[in-house]
Amino acid sequence: MLKVSVISPEKVLYEGDASSVVAPGFDGELGILTGHAPMITALGAGTLRVEGGAGSQRFSVAGGFLQVVDDQVRVVTEKATAI
Amino acid sequence: MAQGRELKGRIKSIEGTRKITRSMEMVATSKLKRAQDRVVAARPYARALEAVIADLYSPELAERFPLLRQPAANEQGTPVRGSRAAVLLITSNQGLAGAFNANLIREARSLLARLSTAGVETDLHIVGRKGLGFFRYIGAKIASSRTDIGDKPTAEHGSQLVDTLMSDFIERRLDAVYVVYAKYNSPLSTPPVAERVLPVAPPVRNGPARDYLLFPNAHDILDALLPLYVRNAIYRALVETVAGEQGARRTAMKAATDNAGEILNVLRRTYNRARQAQITQEIAEIVGGAEALSG
Repeated sequence: MLKVSVISPEKVLYEGDASSVVAPGFDGELGILTGHAPMITALGAGTLRVEGGAGSQRFSVAGGFLQVVDDQVRVVTEKATAI
Repeated sequence: MAQGRELKGRIKSIEGTRKITRSMEMVATSKLKRAQDRVVAARPYARALEAVIADLYSPELAERFPLLRQPAANEQGTPVRGSRAAVLLITSNQGLAGAFNANLIREARSLLARLSTAGVETDLHIVGRKGLGFFRYIGAKIASSRTDIGDKPTAEHGSQLVDTLMSDFIERRLDAVYVVYAKYNSPLSTPPVAERVLPVAPPVRNGPARDYLLFPNAHDILDALLPLYVRNAIYRALVETVAGEQGARRTAMKAATDNAGEILNVLRRTYNRARQAQITQEIAEIVGGAEALSG
């Protein structure tokens, strides 16, 4: 399982487990599964999908970055809203 | 019993005042709670941003970022003669918060004085009616001001305030940007502080660097994140000042309520004593009159 948090300047929008994350990278979508190598990537604008056990959560994000380290995924973005 | 009536009037009026200060105290308490939540909710973002910038930053990269440009400055970090700095002062829109705004204004004035003795030209940007009112009154030159932020600042407000300053800094029209705000340590401790937000002092890494895959590369990621870092510094200054304002107001209103209670005690005692004295006197008069008749 991945531990995922989605963080905006005002609050933490999501914190919990997920099986995969699909994020809008600066040059196209990218998917993260467990066991990913440590990575930091810039994000573009688009939809972030967090596939959890209970179903998928979607956020619209713009800018910021995504960091993966030891199965922890942190999405830090300036503008994020749940959809 | 003229004095009695007068006392009664004062007691009524102070009771009214106490009602007002008590309800202001309660309003401030509930607003403080929400403002405090906002301060706490803003922490994870700042921490995550700091950690990643610290991870990616290396001194060799520094010269390539306009936001990290270090203009000539003396050892204390004050820019040299002839340079230009912007001071962003954050105050509240409403008073009745004790010395809260006065402290912020004093901090801003001492910073301005320090800069001007160093021969630095300053632009003053003000948030909040209280700061604006003061600097207008003393006839200071105000570069920009806004009073529409209120007690729910958003990240958007932060970027609106700092984006023009950031581009001025990049284009070398400004050599430093300071923000004066109330740091929120606890409801009772909200000291005014002056912080330099530009040039950015990159956070320091603690512990060894991880080997990250970087897309597109460290330079481009940092280039995108540094403005976020600066905007976030301003956003945090805004939320901390709001929380500090409510904390200061609660303290001030609690003191006012307590004082009103004390004054009421004294007034009530004086009133009762006057009433009793009058009754005693009336009885003495009646007894005296009856004795005169029977005698």
